[in-house]
Amino acid sequence: METMENHHATIASVAITAYSALSACGIGNKTLYKSLIDNESQLAPLSLFNIPFPAYVGEIKQPLLAIREQLAEYNCRNARVALTALNDVDGGVREAIEIAKEKYGAHRIGVIIGTSTSGLYETESAYGVLLEEGNMPADFHFVTEHAYQATARFVQLELGLTGVCYAISTACSSGAKAIAAGQRLINGGLCDAVIVGGVDTLCRLTLRGFRSLELVSSEPCTPMDRNRKGISIGEAAGLLVLEKRHADNAHTMKVLAVGESSDAHHMSTPHPEGRGAALAMKNALQLAGLKAEDIDYLNLHATATKINDSVESRAVFSVFADSVPCSGTKGITGHTLGAAGALETIITLTALQQQFIPGTQGLQELDDDCQCQVIKAPLQTKNMQIAMSNSFGFGGNNASVIVAL
Amino acid sequence: MMKQLFIKSAAVCCPEVALLAALDLRSSDIDKSLIPAGMRRRTSMTTRMAITAAKHACTQANSDTQNLASVFASLGGEIQVTDALCRLLPDENELLSPTQFHNSVHNTTAGYWGILNKCQAPTTAIAAADDTFAMGLIEVWAQLQQEPGERLLVCYDELWPQYLAPPIGQSAFACAFVLSTETDQSIGAITMPQVSQLKQQDLKVDWVKLTESAPAAAVIPLLLALQDKQSGLVPLNIKAPIWTSQFEPYFCESSFWASKPKFAAKA
Repeated sequence: METMENHHATIASVAITAYSALSACGIGNKTLYKSLIDNESQLAPLSLFNIPFPAYVGEIKQPLLAIREQLAEYNCRNARVALTALNDVDGGVREAIEIAKEKYGAHRIGVIIGTSTSGLYETESAYGVLLEEGNMPADFHFVTEHAYQATARFVQLELGLTGVCYAISTACSSGAKAIAAGQRLINGGLCDAVIVGGVDTLCRLTLRGFRSLELVSSEPCTPMDRNRKGISIGEAAGLLVLEKRHADNAHTMKVLAVGESSDAHHMSTPHPEGRGAALAMKNALQLAGLKAEDIDYLNLHATATKINDSVESRAVFSVFADSVPCSGTKGITGHTLGAAGALETIITLTALQQQFIPGTQGLQELDDDCQCQVIKAPLQTKNMQIAMSNSFGFGGNNASVIVAL
Repeated sequence: MMKQLFIKSAAVCCPEVALLAALDLRSSDIDKSLIPAGMRRRTSMTTRMAITAAKHACTQANSDTQNLASVFASLGGEIQVTDALCRLLPDENELLSPTQFHNSVHNTTAGYWGILNKCQAPTTAIAAADDTFAMGLIEVWAQLQQEPGERLLVCYDELWPQYLAPPIGQSAFACAFVLSTETDQSIGAITMPQVSQLKQQDLKVDWVKLTESAPAAAVIPLLLALQDKQSGLVPLNIKAPIWTSQFEPYFCESSFWASKPKFAAKA
């Protein structure tokens, strides 16, 4: 089914010609769908490294593909996670890019990857050597592993692309903002296709940093629950191929718009009334030329911290009242930080494609604070056409993605 | 399709006077008075430099900072904060400072800029290694194509610990531009950044050397073109493929640049 062209939209939609996710749910869209429809938590105690406190995480357990020799200086967990998602045959991201290269040329295809910590996991180990021996290890390559653009550049080289390439790093909204940037690059005529998304991997700094803010739950997170105790961190890659719309891709799903805003309030605490969050959702609706009632499903940011969830509830209620079914999926995948916006956009696409509303794993009893229509267990539905996914990050950086069948 | 972007202002903040004198660039040192004391205590050198440059550019352009969307472009961002945290991590018993942790994100400067100016317009933080300035211009270009008006582009990097990626980080440098889709009050115009046939050996050696140690110095050819009111092809990065824009100077009599026509090295 194809959405009718919306003449109220102020920007053109772009086609999503392939997408793939790698997360604690496993590789590919089918494993993701299975976890979602079963509403099965993939959170487990951390095994990748030691931390001095208990925490459940959404850790990728599946073997990761190796980086080829010629790109050895890019070799880090973040790049391996990206490569594994890229090569997922079922998702077909690599194949879509190969076709796009034929069609548009390698220089017309951009790469925009969101990340919050890039290859920091390896850098942390390198610091262990630095402090012991006074020097960084010989195989430490800061710019090609740790620096924010490293994974984007790796993807560009791996695919043989030569066009626009950069990272967006706006903490937990990075993946959603990469989608916004990709749509703009296509609509602005700077690219014909863009591989966008988010890639973030577990590391000590984020675990211990969120712990220092007293935001890490010692049990699996319970978004929107009245007894929620904080976040469970996860890791993921979510990659999407965006292309300008034409006859060949008329029947793919689409990105209609991404609304963005700033809180202008505090570095790590959202504005108490959720004004930035509400503004991002309103901007997305306005750009897409839609009304609140046109949204059939809303994937919440719902990190499961006390304040984030109550502020988001308020913001959602101010835009939608209680009319839109919503759910938060971080009880399944964990909060995948810079990848969350991309992973949860893919979750939202899965919901549209499979015509179901994901549940909110971990939610027992809805917080009195929350007047929104939060769905606990997955719900089969029909006629869902358009859905939204929220992502809000440190620095008060907000993005809401609207996608359509 | 948009053919040109108009430059309304440009400002540099670089604490190294000798470096600026050598380049004959007009700049200012970090202006602490621009950030309230409570916030200043929590900000790094990189944020203070970037905010100084941004504030000066907005003042020159007479921009409404409460409604101005922005793009912050930096290779390493808050590298000193991240470095200090990484030094604590090998010891499992070390507690991290929550403020330092949230100040380690790449969009820290963007976040403080928004808070400082009570600005709810979108802001983004990008990184592209040696291509950071070129990609920052491309991000601004795409944004303005979608929504005409003004954008703030800030390009910056601070001093880095010498063991991370020498020679990167030997000099600190921040620069800000207000870019517009309107020619009104502009001091120059640039075309869409494109990959050129230029090779590194075609570029000025001094500039390449400086940019290797201070990535944000990639802005210097554009600054010099503005200063000299010299039209021509301006390189935006130093490693092939070299991105370029065609620059055209404008003679705006009422602008900051007309009254102080040349950058002068700070005494």
